[in-house]
Amino acid sequence: MISNIPTSGGTRVPSAVPPDAAGHRSDQDGQARMASVMPTPATRVAIIGAGRGGTALLDLLHQLRTIEVVGIADRNPTAPGLQRARELHVPVYERLADLIGNHRVNLVMDLTGDPGMDRTLREHTSGETDILGGPASRLLWDLVRHESALQAELLHSEKLAGIGSFAAGIAHDMNNPLQLILGLAENLVDERDLETVHLQASDIVEAVKRTTAICRDLTSYSRRASSQQDSLIAINGKLDEALKIARYAVALQDIDIHKSYQPDITVKGNPDELLHVFVNLITNAVQAMDHGGTLTLETAVIQGATRVRVVDTGCGIPADVLDRIFEPFFTTKPPGKGTGLGLYNIKNVIHHLHGTIEVESRVGRGSTFTIMFPRETTAESRSSPS
Amino acid sequence: MDEFKSGFFVGGESCNGRVLIVDDEPDIRKVVRLTLHKAGYDVLEAENGAKAIDTINSGENRLLLDVIICDIRMPKVNGIEAIAYLRQNYPRVPLIVLTGFPDTDMATSLLRQGVVDYLVKPVEGDKLRASVARAMEQRELAHLS
Repeated sequence: MISNIPTSGGTRVPSAVPPDAAGHRSDQDGQARMASVMPTPATRVAIIGAGRGGTALLDLLHQLRTIEVVGIADRNPTAPGLQRARELHVPVYERLADLIGNHRVNLVMDLTGDPGMDRTLREHTSGETDILGGPASRLLWDLVRHESALQAELLHSEKLAGIGSFAAGIAHDMNNPLQLILGLAENLVDERDLETVHLQASDIVEAVKRTTAICRDLTSYSRRASSQQDSLIAINGKLDEALKIARYAVALQDIDIHKSYQPDITVKGNPDELLHVFVNLITNAVQAMDHGGTLTLETAVIQGATRVRVVDTGCGIPADVLDRIFEPFFTTKPPGKGTGLGLYNIKNVIHHLHGTIEVESRVGRGSTFTIMFPRETTAESRSSPS
Repeated sequence: MDEFKSGFFVGGESCNGRVLIVDDEPDIRKVVRLTLHKAGYDVLEAENGAKAIDTINSGENRLLLDVIICDIRMPKVNGIEAIAYLRQNYPRVPLIVLTGFPDTDMATSLLRQGVVDYLVKPVEGDKLRASVARAMEQRELAHLS
């Protein structure tokens, strides 16, 4: 449960509030305040080199509101960063001069590792453009990699911490078939009727299969998210898989589950990370419905973008808490019951997929989490979904 | 109706007593029935706490039910709620908990509430039958007191 602090009215917040969001109210020292909340112009950045470093930097900078990546250049037309840039609608250049010469660039980031590049860049830029290259660039690349590794570690740690709450569900689902196996096996010791022997032996085989399926699901879920390239993910199947995993963490018996799926939707991303996102959202939704309710899972393509909604009819989230739910270590659960990293990690995964996540909530009525995957990650092809 | 005495008559048929198994899993109800039939018990089934309460409140079960075996994690009325209701309304019917999840705090709490035994699945047939036999003794002592 996210919270049960009472308040009234519905509220909607995105996962990240723009820096100028506080500037809507009027007050007496309006002019001074207006000046302080005027949007700061974005820093215009050009990336030179579209190898692994350039790609990672592009992914990172593209998420920052204060940065505008005006383009990326690489002599090698098959460099991975160029493909990534096209997916993100960032202009791609093969010639350095075309990138730097045609834009008012504030900062050029050189990730080529070419010792002669600094001189070339200085020839093409004015004194107003900062250049970051050489050891500084390598340091930046190391920091980006380190940050990326930390994010992955954080996601995995939070997932493992969550698996602790699966204990009751796992025990229930494992021990029930084990009880059947034991009871039937004991009976078979004395059973003389051949037909009964056959029937009960078949029941034992089925029970063993159920038990091994549980182990398979959990082993698959608990593994570290694969660092493989993103692949096409069949969203509806991934939601169903998440529902199966979530039932170990929360009791679904008293929850009505309503699915409204648009068929054959795929998005591009890491399937393990997306599964974790869905498991977390479903678990939160069910925990918010202490006394039963309806969980709605909805997928749709809206103007080329994929929308996924997880809707509950639970206790809702008060407005004063709603603004903070995507912050790291923010939790309203009792000590030991929540890490406070669930929604924070969800936000990071969704941002990595260049999507957005928003929540609308009304206390006493329930919450709706809406994820939008932009057109570029919503795959047209139906081939090879994971 | 025959005079009440556990282990002798239920509606004219000889049996060792009448047991209600409350579990949402049909497989568990089936295997408990199989295990207790061998010891001569008549076994009734309910798939959740609400059905258990209906069953115990219906007809002759009000008088002739000897032991209830109850799971904890069930839909609608769960085991904890059902046990609280049954302890309050039928304090003389012994309760055995048969659960998939070993939880020491819950076991302690339930035993304090008067539950006869807290068994964790999978439980061997002999152990289950012994537990039911102890509960039957308690049931008879309750009627003598």
